Amino acid sequence: MAANYWDSTQAKYFTYTKSELASLRLALHPNTNNNNATNPPFPETRHLAIYTLTNLTKFARRQTNIRQQALATAQIYLKRFHLSVDVRKTNPYLLMATALYLACKMEETPLHIRLMLSEASRHWTELGVSETSRLGECEFALISTLRSRLILHHPYRALGELQGVFGLGVEEQALAHSIINDSYATDLALLYPPHIIAITAIFLAVVLRPAGGLPAGLAAHAASPAVGSSAAQSALAGFGGLKQSGPKLAKLVDWLAESKVDMKAIVDATQEMVSLYECWEGYNEKVVKDAYAKMLKDMK
Amino acid sequence: MDATPYAPQRHINDNYDIVGFISSGTYGRVYKAISRRTANQPAPIVKHPSGRTIEAFAIKKFKPDKEGAELQYTGISQSAIREMALCTELSHPALIHLVEIILESKCIFMVFEYAEHDLLQIIHHHSLLPRTPIPASTLRSCMHQLLSGLLYLHQNWVIHRDLKPANIMVTSSGAIKIGDLGLARLFYKPLHPLFSGDKVVVTIWYRAPELLLGSRHYTPAIDLWAVGCIFAELMTLRPIFKGEEAKQDSKKAVPFQRNQMGKIGEILGLPRKSEWPLLQAMPEYPSLQTVSMHNASVNRPVTLDKWYRNTTGSNNYNAQTSPPPDDSALDLLKKLLEYDPLKRSTAEQALKHPYFLGADGTGKPPSWNCFEGLETKYPARKVRHDDRLQQYRDNFGFNSLLAQAIAENVLPPGLEQERMLQVHARHAWNLAVDSPKREKTGAREYEVLNEAWGWACLRFAEAAGEWRLKAEFGGVDNVGAGGAGEG
Repeated sequence: MAANYWDSTQAKYFTYTKSELASLRLALHPNTNNNNATNPPFPETRHLAIYTLTNLTKFARRQTNIRQQALATAQIYLKRFHLSVDVRKTNPYLLMATALYLACKMEETPLHIRLMLSEASRHWTELGVSETSRLGECEFALISTLRSRLILHHPYRALGELQGVFGLGVEEQALAHSIINDSYATDLALLYPPHIIAITAIFLAVVLRPAGGLPAGLAAHAASPAVGSSAAQSALAGFGGLKQSGPKLAKLVDWLAESKVDMKAIVDATQEMVSLYECWEGYNEKVVKDAYAKMLKDMK
Repeated sequence: MDATPYAPQRHINDNYDIVGFISSGTYGRVYKAISRRTANQPAPIVKHPSGRTIEAFAIKKFKPDKEGAELQYTGISQSAIREMALCTELSHPALIHLVEIILESKCIFMVFEYAEHDLLQIIHHHSLLPRTPIPASTLRSCMHQLLSGLLYLHQNWVIHRDLKPANIMVTSSGAIKIGDLGLARLFYKPLHPLFSGDKVVVTIWYRAPELLLGSRHYTPAIDLWAVGCIFAELMTLRPIFKGEEAKQDSKKAVPFQRNQMGKIGEILGLPRKSEWPLLQAMPEYPSLQTVSMHNASVNRPVTLDKWYRNTTGSNNYNAQTSPPPDDSALDLLKKLLEYDPLKRSTAEQALKHPYFLGADGTGKPPSWNCFEGLETKYPARKVRHDDRLQQYRDNFGFNSLLAQAIAENVLPPGLEQERMLQVHARHAWNLAVDSPKREKTGAREYEVLNEAWGWACLRFAEAAGEWRLKAEFGGVDNVGAGGAGEG
């Protein structure tokens, strides 16, 4: 488990194929947005995920005790939860607060329930909950839906182990770390083992840094994407031609060739990340906020 | 999620019949249960992953943090969350098997496979007159299984942090099952020092010296110290370092456990820099000097060798029918009760010790049935069918109950207070003597009085006719504010 991803509940119960994910979601909400006339259309899954990611990140900035790992854990809990419960039937703000509250406990950096609630209601005026018992009740629902499978394997650990192998510099490490943070806006954590995501992030970081001229020292808590869409596109091109092949990239490619790492998965994960950054350009926070507001209003 | 209240998918009472009450603690209560059968429907068969059928269950019910009239969702405690997550994730033959978790009625029910015995109970059985030692083969098998389970935990980055005989279950087929993971936690790259999360870990008699000396960082080695203490206790049938716990004062500072350190020193001598290079770095190192002022015998320690000779010499071992463990046991014990955590044996090293595999390391490892070849039959776990007193005290606490009874002037007529005390004190005394937990507190008189009052109050409760095991178990909400009852 904690040592062995392959024996973990994450590998056994929460790793899917893309078509499995699609059919699970379709079952929850048969009239997916764009085909049908919801007016205006409900934002796409990735935009919702970006909204969650950026909101949680901003939330954590004000609470020094919340660590990146807890944010990552909270996001996975939400993703798994929304494979059983349609987001349109929930209060997304209450769920965000609850997932984070639970994630902090799981990562052994607990926050008191009252503090979590007061911070959450200050941060999200839409929360609409003033009793801690509501958060406690939501916690029951969350844990029950996740069947108490709460221990997670994140790519950060593999990144830590591999950065030495590839001799990553400080900036490349920071960039890879930020790319992993961004990956929580995708389905990657539901599709691939954590090391695949870590290697993908390393690959992108190594390819992009010399070419893209990225701002150095990206904060781990960045609320904007780590990589621009055009830079990401060029990274994808780099896969084929490897035109900017520096010694680090060559080493990475050699290592991958010799290792038993699933290359198809790496390529696909890279494409997912690139397409996320494209998708991020079309993201508008207000659209999601309004959609949620309308949804909460309709529920009442 | 927002408008609709939480509704569980499975209900505890639809699936289990409660047979009785096993024990209670700060966390809540444990019940024995079997699969529910009805007139129309036979009991469903629940299988262990290995294929065997699970006949009985131990259901651990966590009570919410806050106690009072009405149960509320208060947020699940850190300890419950840990135990739920770890038991869901882990699986090993020497680890208690979790069947399922049901979240219902604002309570958490963890359903485990039932184990008929535990090591404390087995120790207790052997210490009854005529005192008989635990057979060497049983001892070896217990230790081997325990260490196998512990190795699995440590390989998975889990420290147990509360190993003691009461937390180590034994099934009727002789399999050891490590239980109670309420204090266990993952230690892979902790975001905060382990100390900052839980100031006090491990029951005092089993607490490793680095913890007693206030170490901010500690390792799985603390579990191995506890295993050493358990090993010794299985041989002598009494705790090897039976100290008294210094209680936390009002300032919330963690006190130095001088008495416990002294008890260890009486046998091992106090730790020395020459044997434990990092000793001086321990926060409580200065306090260590004060131990010998209070307990001079630490200057003339018994030594483990002598302790072992005394043990094997005086424990009614019989060369023919029940020979003592051989000297490799002493060597393993020394390696487990090593002061320096860096030098202390790991679970992996211990499993390769000659005690288990012979001097050349090629011997046959002990059986997975610690009762193999044994004629003695251990008594089954005591299952009380009447835990009303316990419920009563858990739900209200003694004082609030009495206060309420007096306030409402509803003490049963004709049972004046002195009389009640008299009648119930004897029973309470028996309870106090019977319970190793209470023995530890040393405040027996208080306990006796407390119990007596509890029983007195129970009579009152009985009169009110509201305490039925079944009702309490299922509908917690019904056991509201004392007077309401079910009907």
